[in-house]
Parts: sequence; C-alpha cells; structure tokens
Amino acid sequence: MLSLIVFLPILAGLVILAVPSSQKQIIRIVSLLAAIAQGVLAVLIWRGYDASMPGIIAAEGGAPEGSFQFIERLPWINLDLGGFGSLNIEYFLGVDGLSITMVILTALISIIGVLSSWPIQKQVKGYFILYNLLATAMMGCFVALDFFLFYVFWELMLLPMYFLIGIWGGPNREYAAIKFFLYTLFGSVFMLLVMIGLYFSVIDPLTGNHTFSLVAMASQENYIKDAILGPESMMWRYAAFIVLFVGFAIKVPMFPFHTWLPDAHVEAPTPISVILAGVLLKLGTYGMMRINFPLFPEVFQASLYAIGVLGAINIIYGAFCALAQQDLKKMVAYSSISHMGYVLLGLAAANSEGMVGALYQMFNHGTITSMLFLLVGVIYDRAHTRQIDKFGGLASYMPVYAAVVTIAWFASLGLPGLSGFISEAFVFVGAFSSETTRNIAIVSVLGIVFGAAYLLWSLQRMFLGKRKADAAYDLEVDADGHEHIHFHDWKGKLDLDARELVMLVPLAVIVIFLGIYPMPVLGMLTSSINKLVEVLSPVVMTALN
Amino acid sequence: MHSLIQLSIAVLLLPLLSFVILIFFNKRLPRRGDFVGVGILGTTFALSFYIFWSVVVQAYDPAFRVAWDFTWIDFGNVPGVGPLEIRMGIVIDNLTAIMLAMVTLISFLVHLYSTGYMSGDPRYGRFFAFLGIFTFSMLGIVLADNLFAIYIFWELVGLSSYLLIGFYFEKDSAADAQKKAFLANRVGDIGMWLGILILYSQFHTFSYQEIFANLAAGKFGLGEAWLTAAGILLFMGCVGKSAQFPLHVWLPDAMEGPTPVSALIHAATMVAAGVYFVARIFVLLTADALHVIAFIGAVTAFMAATIAITQHDIKRVLAYSTVSQLGYMVLGLGVGAYSAALFHLVTHAFFKACLFLGSGAIIHAMHHEQDMRWMGGLRKPMPWTFATFTLATLALAGLPLTSGFMSKDAILAGAIGFAAAEGGGIYWIIPFLGFFSAMLTAFYMGRQIWLVFFGESRTHLKPADPHHHGHDAHGSHGHDDHHAGESHGVHEVAWNMRAPLVILAALSVFAVYSPDPLDGAKGWFLKMVQTPATVVGSPGNTAGHESSPLALHEGRLLAEAVPPAQHKAESDAHSEGVASEAASGVHAEAAGAAAHGEAHGHEFSDPRQAAIAHEAHAAHWPAIMISSVMVVLGISLAFVVYVFRIIDPEKTARSIRPLYLYSFNKWYWDEIYDATFIKGSVLISKILSWFDANIVDGIVNGVGAMTRRVGFATGGFDKYVVDGAVNFTAFLVNTSGGVLRKLQTGKVQTYVVLLLLAVIGYFIYYFTQLIY
Repeated sequence: MLSLIVFLPILAGLVILAVPSSQKQIIRIVSLLAAIAQGVLAVLIWRGYDASMPGIIAAEGGAPEGSFQFIERLPWINLDLGGFGSLNIEYFLGVDGLSITMVILTALISIIGVLSSWPIQKQVKGYFILYNLLATAMMGCFVALDFFLFYVFWELMLLPMYFLIGIWGGPNREYAAIKFFLYTLFGSVFMLLVMIGLYFSVIDPLTGNHTFSLVAMASQENYIKDAILGPESMMWRYAAFIVLFVGFAIKVPMFPFHTWLPDAHVEAPTPISVILAGVLLKLGTYGMMRINFPLFPEVFQASLYAIGVLGAINIIYGAFCALAQQDLKKMVAYSSISHMGYVLLGLAAANSEGMVGALYQMFNHGTITSMLFLLVGVIYDRAHTRQIDKFGGLASYMPVYAAVVTIAWFASLGLPGLSGFISEAFVFVGAFSSETTRNIAIVSVLGIVFGAAYLLWSLQRMFLGKRKADAAYDLEVDADGHEHIHFHDWKGKLDLDARELVMLVPLAVIVIFLGIYPMPVLGMLTSSINKLVEVLSPVVMTALN
Repeated sequence: MHSLIQLSIAVLLLPLLSFVILIFFNKRLPRRGDFVGVGILGTTFALSFYIFWSVVVQAYDPAFRVAWDFTWIDFGNVPGVGPLEIRMGIVIDNLTAIMLAMVTLISFLVHLYSTGYMSGDPRYGRFFAFLGIFTFSMLGIVLADNLFAIYIFWELVGLSSYLLIGFYFEKDSAADAQKKAFLANRVGDIGMWLGILILYSQFHTFSYQEIFANLAAGKFGLGEAWLTAAGILLFMGCVGKSAQFPLHVWLPDAMEGPTPVSALIHAATMVAAGVYFVARIFVLLTADALHVIAFIGAVTAFMAATIAITQHDIKRVLAYSTVSQLGYMVLGLGVGAYSAALFHLVTHAFFKACLFLGSGAIIHAMHHEQDMRWMGGLRKPMPWTFATFTLATLALAGLPLTSGFMSKDAILAGAIGFAAAEGGGIYWIIPFLGFFSAMLTAFYMGRQIWLVFFGESRTHLKPADPHHHGHDAHGSHGHDDHHAGESHGVHEVAWNMRAPLVILAALSVFAVYSPDPLDGAKGWFLKMVQTPATVVGSPGNTAGHESSPLALHEGRLLAEAVPPAQHKAESDAHSEGVASEAASGVHAEAAGAAAHGEAHGHEFSDPRQAAIAHEAHAAHWPAIMISSVMVVLGISLAFVVYVFRIIDPEKTARSIRPLYLYSFNKWYWDEIYDATFIKGSVLISKILSWFDANIVDGIVNGVGAMTRRVGFATGGFDKYVVDGAVNFTAFLVNTSGGVLRKLQTGKVQTYVVLLLLAVIGYFIYYFTQLIY
C-alpha cells in the first residue's frame, strides 16, 4: 500500500516518458490520474488507520508492529564492511500519527499541484516527469522509517526541485534554484555524517545488528553505551543534534537560514510554490519530530528555550518583513516563515497541546498557504504583475476571487472558525503552559496582531477602494454606467474560471470544516503526539540514566 | 437534552442558515432574499422570547441555570495531565435569556428596518447575509459556556463587524475604518487570549464553571499577581470590543458602515459584548483588577462625553455617546454594581438602537446628509421620528420615567457606594467623573435634538463642497442623492422603518422594567440578575460561607463543576437539569432573600462585596438627587446655548479654542497612535526587511561569493600548482626525452662506443672504491 502510494507518480513518469512530447494533454491527464490515485490510496490508508496505535517508538518488545501501521520491511542493501561489521540498509516503510497527517496533506497538495500545472506550456513532458519524481520523493520522505531510505528520498527531492525552479521559473530563476539547491545540500551533508554515526551507535533489539531503523533509534535503550553517539558521549550527541537541527531548520525555513525561501517562491512557477510551501517546508519540522528530537531527547530538553526563541523570531520577524513587501508573492512567502514559526514554538513547548498544535499547524499551513499561492497565481496570470500597489478595487470587479481571497487571507491571519486558528491557538496554549516557553509565548502573541496587519493591509490595497491610477488593468464604463475591467492580453475569464475553482473550493471547504470540527485530523495524531511527548519527557530520560 | 437547550441551539444556528442561504443564493431569490433574513430573524426572536419567558418570567429564579456540553477535541491521555478534552457547550441562565431576547429582537428590527433603508443598494442581498452571520456570532458569545468558545465567537463578531463597516468598500474611508476596527480589536484580543492562557495553564480547562470551581478551591498556583493580571488581560478583550479607552478609536470610525449596522452592532449588541464578557468572568476578578476596570470605565465615560459635545456629524455624536455609555457599564462592573451595569447594557441597547435607527431615518430622509449644521426643523415633517428620537434621548440623558434613568442611577449609586466602601480619597474620582459625564450627556443630547428637529431648516446654508457629501453616501448607490438646497422634500419614513423606532422607543419606558420609576430594584431585571459572589475574595471570605444563601448557591455550582477527569467518564453529550432536587430549597431561599432585600439584593460572604453593596444601597437616593441635578444642569445649558442663544456657541468655541479643538479632534488619539504605533510598526518593518535583504541574505550571498573565491583560488592552485606540477613533470620528461632521444641514433657503432665508455666508467668507479 505504502509502496504503491510512493511509487505511483514515478510509474506515471515512466508512462509519460513513453508518450510523445507533442501529446501535452495526455501527459497532463496521466499525471492527474496518478495524483488522484495517490489521493484515493491516501484516503484508504486514512480509513484503515487505527488511531489508537501510537507509533513514534516500537511496541513493547522492540517490534514496530503494533505501534506503526502499513509496515513494509525488506532488506535492501547488505554490505560486508570487513572490520567495520556489515551495512544493513532496509526498505522500511510505515506510518504513525505524525506521518499519516503528512501523507494525506501530500496527496492532497499533489493533486492541486497537477491542476495548477495545467497552463504550463514549456516542455510539458519534462516538467511532468520531474513533477512526478518530486511527488514520489516527498511521499517517500514521510513514510520512510529507515534513516538511509529517508536520506535517499530527501536528496531525491532536490534534483527535480532544482530543475523545476531553474527551468520553469521567473526571470531570476537560476539564482533562486542554485540557492535553494546549495542551501539544502549544505544541510543534508552533515545529516549524512550523523546518520552514519547513529548507525554504529544503535542496535536493533530484534536482530542484534546495527540498523538505520528510525524506530530502533527512537528508543534510547537501543544505544550502545560507549558508541560515538551513545548516551555517554554528550559532546557528540549535542553536536549531532545541532547539525541535524540546522539541516532541518533550513527546510522549515528558520531564521537566519530562511532567505532562500522568498527567492525560491518569487521565481518558482505557481504549482511549484504550492508544493514548496504546502509540503516541502513541512519536511523540516517533520524531520525534527521524527528524527531530530526523539533520537536526542535530552539535548532537545536542554534546547527548548532556544528553539522557542527561534520560533518567536520567525513569527514576529516574518510578520514584520511581510508587512514591508511590495510583491504579493514575497509577502506570502514571508507569511509562511511567520507561520512556520508557530510550529517551532509549539514544538518547543514540548507538551501535548503545543505539539498537537504544531503538527496541526503543519497540516493547516499546507492547505492555507497553498490557497494563498494559488490565489497569487490567479492574479499574476492575468496581470503579469504581483505588485500590491498596482491594483485597487478588485472586489467590485472580481467578486468570486475577492471572496475566496478573503477566506484564505482570514484563514491565514488565524480567524476562529477556520483551521489555522485552532492550530495556532493550541500552539499558544502549549507554549504558555510550559514554564520554559511562557515568556516566549507572551511575546509571540504580537504575531497575531502583525499577521492581521499585513494581510488586511494588502487586502485593502488590492481589493478595496477604487482602481489606482497606475493599475495593471483597464477600466471601462459602458453606456449604462456599469464598470468593466480587463487585463492586457488576458483572454480567459476575468473572475475565477472552472479549473481555478476546482483547486480552490475543496481547499476552502477543508479549511472551514477543519476549523469547525478538527477531530478528523486531530483524532489521528493525538495518540502519537502523546507518545512523542512521553518519549521526549525528561522523566523518561532520568529513568534511563 | 433540556428543551431550552434544543431551542437555544436552533436560535444560534438559524441566523447562520440565513447567512448561508443569502450569501450563495441572494441573486436568485425574489427581492434578493430579504424576506429570508427578516423571516428567519423573526422566528429566531420568537424562539428567544419563548426562552426568555420560560426562564425569566415562569421560572423566576435568580439561580436558574441549564447547561449542556459535548466533547469538541479529544486529546487522549496526555502525559502529565491525564485524559484531556476540550468541551464546547451552552449555558442558559437569566442573563443569557435576557441577552438572547434583546439581541434577537434588535437584530430582527434592524433586518426589518433595512428593507427600507438599504433598498436599491447593489449589494442589498449580501447586506442581509452579513447581518445573519453577525447575529449568529453574537448569539454564540451569549450562549458560550467556556472561554475558548467565547473567544471564537468574539473574533467572528469582529469579522462580521469588519465586513459590515466596510460594506461600502469602494470608499477609502470605509476600507480604512474596517481595517482599523479589526486591528484595534485584535490588540484587545491578544490581551484576552493571554488571560485565557493564564487560566488554562493552571487548570487545563476553558470552562467557566470548572475555572471558577478551581479558583474557589484555591488551586491557582501562580499567585495573586498573576490572577490580577489574568483579570486585567481578559478585560483587555472588553477594552477592544466595547471601545474603552485607550482602544476606543475604532468605534467612531466604524460609523462608515450603513446606519442599521451602526444601530445593531456598534451601539446595541456587539460593543456590549465586552461588558457581557466581563460580567461572565466577574467572579474571578480580584479587587485590584476591578479597580483598573472602574478607572478605565470612568475615564472612557468622561472622555467620550467631552468629545461628543463638539461633533457635527449626527452619527459621530451618537458614536461617542455610545463609547461614553459603555464606559458607564464598565465603570459599573468595576465598582461591583454588576446587575446595574447589565441593566444599563439592556436599557442602553434599546434606546441607543432607537437613536441610531432614528438618525438613519433622518439621514435617509435628508438624502444622506449627516452634518447636523445643515439640518434643523425636522420636527414637523418627521413627527414619528421626532417623538421616538426624543423619548430615546430622554432615556439616554437619564430623565425620570425612562429606563436609562433607573439603570444609570443604579450604576452611579454603586459608584458612590464603592468610593465610600473603599475609603474615599482617589476613589471619589470615579463617581465624580460619572456624574459630570451625566451632565455632559444631557447637554450634547439636548444640543442634538435642538439642532436636528427644532428651528428652521438650514439645508441651504451648506457650502457647495463636492467632497463633503455626508459619510453615508454610498459608493455606487442607487439613491438619487443629488438633491440640493430647498428643492428636496423631507418625508417621514415608511412603516418598515417606523415600526422598529416605535417598538424600541416603547422599550425605553420605565414600566417595562420596574413598577417604580424611581427604583429599578423593584423590577424583574435586578431581581433576576444578581451580583454573583466572588471566587477570589479577600481573606475572611470563608467565614459565614454556610449561612449565605448565595454562597450555598455558589457551592452548588462548584459541586456541579466536576473535575475534568470525572467529566470524561460521563456520556458525551450530557445535559444538566434545571436544578437538582436537593438544591431547590436553597433556591427558594435565595429568591426570597432577593425579593426582600431590594437593592441590597442578597448578602455577600466576601466582606468587600458586602460593604460595597451596603454602601450602594445607602447611596440610592443621593445618587438620584445628584444625577437629576446634573441632568437638569446639562439640559438647561443646552437650552441656554442653542435655544435662547444667550451664549453663542461659536464665540465660546473661539474663546476657549485650545479646549474646543482638543475636544473636536477627539483628544488627538488618532494622531498619537498614527505617529507612534502605526508609523513605528511600518518603520520597524522597513528596517527589518532591509536587514533581511541586505544583512541576512547578504551574509548568505557573501558566503556564496566567498566560496566561489575559495573555489577560484583552489582552482588556480589546481591549475597552476597541482596541474603545473603535473605539466612540469611532463615537460621534464619531454625535455629529457628530447635530450636522450639524441642518443638513439640507430647506429651499432655508436652503441658499441657507448657500451665501451660505460664499461670503462664502471671499472674506474670500481677501482676508486677499492683504493679507498
């Protein structure tokens, strides 16, 4: 099941390889079908998922069965390293509450991304092959339970992303693509070292061999006492934690490693922005929750304050930077930075409320920010500009667009009744309940005000009032006194067309539904989060020592 | 589930249904679906009135309470806490029932009124949709049984307010006003949110009852200062929503919305939500928090009244008067006059809605003229409006025989009692500001009545300024608002706008609330809504706890509020009965005590509360006298200035120009905020954005550039040194090869000679070795 959901897009890619590049429509439809099939599989996995099984660590006795679900485990690479022992790499997939949330999000955003790629005309075949490769890599990251396999998928994402930005992007695309590539690569190189160090420090209790299994690594009793990353070499454990954290933080992206994001977003085509903001950023925080924190819980406990402060900086700094932006897409990119700060803050709370809020925020940020980028794409397609000051009064002429923008914007500013509110609320609840992060939470609530400020201000400048003198559209008044507008060389429908509605309405419905009744998502993840909190708690650590 | 709960759920959801129908289908329905909105709200009001009747009239029990809740979010078995659920629910008591009836009635009347006022608007259907979602959110605030739910509806009310203030969003002033309102409210909301967080972090629940029970049991672990902070922070929500100083600046600007909206949201209901919320959390406010609240209320009441006296715009005068009256309510809560404050909330809602709708009728009839300087003489063409407006004005000014008289006096009596009980001194400022504001209120309302309804029409005096076209001039409005001079005929409004005025004016008469026009305490309201006993009282609170009926009542509430863990064990959606059999005796006793005690109401176990109640009771008659004198003074002053023109207002204004300007420019708060917070935020954002682009990203690019340099350097090293070495080796080999090649002649003779030379050389070497 999981193999299928991971490799379906690559299969589609292979099919596309066989289709002549002139058959653009077939290529698109094959991709769409693969994405929809992925979505169906995600729903099946969701329906078959038993929310009472916690995941995170192995069940009693050390086996992942009974804790993780939909497990697929095969030996993959076995190398005899002579004096170093042997290298056992497994093909090991499985889901728990952390990953299933992200699997569903990834499947959803993949479908939206294909729909959003429909108008792309340049080298369609190459585009969709890369797109499907990317879809496989993302999904693989979320279901891999073998660190090596995770690393393979993680690196596999870089390549298609690099080309998708570098070929199909905006004017400055090559700079943005190389920046994205190098930045992420920089983070993952060290991850490789830590991974190898972990391999030689951990024993799978069932086989007695060294292992890359993240499930085994998450239990501290599986560590060899005098190994390099064993419980006694504190210095190396701190170093490993920090290196991993930086690697994941780059992806989040966390201040001060965030500057690749606005560039990448501004240059990336709309569907790639959607994928980037909707899924890729979550890999950073997912990696923290799956790998970084449970493998080094005592370092995590010692770093709570620092992580919280970094989260708060993201929240407030991102909001202020967003306030100053003239380019709408750049504003949304900075709002992403701000909103991912809530995830960090929730993680730093290290209690169930905060972590549930953080994971839920990851999901909600995925849906809400996808809407934001799609909506930016809508206006960019028409006006060929994203300058906020080049519009004005659009609400009068594009009422449906304005209505959807209003929903998305208010979802982003955390309006109750929409899903983003619940996650941000519980991040604050958690952060405030923890004495370590209480003061940080108090400062971070300023983000609520400034978040509203930049969103409402941009809403006003683009949609309210009247047409600005140098607006990117023309205004005509007909004989009856009715006003009409049109954009230069835009032949399509002025207001949202059917394809755009098909992308946006389901997202809006999800955002509203999960804002009123969050249990369909929260129900899946609470037991895992409770387990994670338990695994990370200092009580467990002291008991082990 | 109790039948009243079922009804209240219907009451809550019906306006939402109206919103959903109208937002999607208004263009497909006849009359843009206005009948859907009016019909649904009529039904909602009927149901609410039934609830009101059952609770307030039939049950007639101050301790009446029905509650119901369900699991909204289940966190499972949380480490360190145990099973944790976030529950949502509804609570109905006397206050809820009264608020339900009030909100739905005014909302219904405003719907009806809007069928006249808004007719011809291109977004007519959408207007009713927005009214629907507002009503839904407001009812949510009223019904919520926990802090999380009230916060949700609190912000939704903010959203509806945002949408309705900016209904004419083509106008920049409206778009500015809606943004300002939302942001000012958000500032208040973050305080409220922090207050909620303080309480949650201690008790892991949002439920009022559970929080109160835990507080009463002394389980608050952070100490007195944090509890006071929690109270003040929660109150910040009220400061935002109820437009208290220093966040009051948004409310006058909110008058950019259509006038029915001003009546419903920015006068009667939403702005009162802040006061309602403070009442809900009243029992957890410490004495220090209450002092802050009282001072904020008094300052607000006074400040707004001083601003109202110089404004020209008919709606702005009413807006500042609303701010001022909300200040009274907050003052009332702060001084512990809980029931009086809520009484004023209800009476004010009716007469202020009447005033706003009346002003809307005037604006409508005057073709969107809002400046009182160009009105006058409207008494004759608009007799209904005149009569109802005047009656509501009398209530606002607080003249005897009106509802406002009773409620305002109850607050002022409470303020005197508070000052006396707290030992006087600085606390006398509060009643002083209250009475002084009462005089100002009478003055500016007298001025308004005179300018609008009496004298001759001054329409022709208006300078022909195209920009000064009234604030309610719709951007793309269907009205022919281009009449000028005397050519326009002013007519009384149609029945659908007149009927609401009459009903609301009727509800401003004393008899609705109390048989005795001089004593509200004899009426049903003050009997049914009684000051609850504090759960954070001063030491000594426990003494005599058993003897007090209300303390017993409180005890019953505590017993009801079972700890969360136990809660979970119960069924998902359980309903609590009206009152358990065991407690019914207590109820009768409490009701009896209330009937006896009049203003005294009941006795408090908390000495501070008891002292204030006692002093307030004693201050009843003095308060009536002083305030009557103040009101008469205010009205006389208005007569002297505007009727007899003994004092020329213009001359006076010139002679005290700085003061006049200070008032006219609203104490310059907008300018101050603009110069500090707004400009400051924009500046910080520009600095940080520059920092981000040039420093943070500069470092990244710098590292990139440096890596490239290093790359070039290593490349150069590679090319010239490493590769050079390789090439040099090749060169050496090449050269030496070239030299050596010369030896390869191919001639045998040469080889033989060379061989011979080599052999000779070897022998020479060998022998020299032997010699040494």
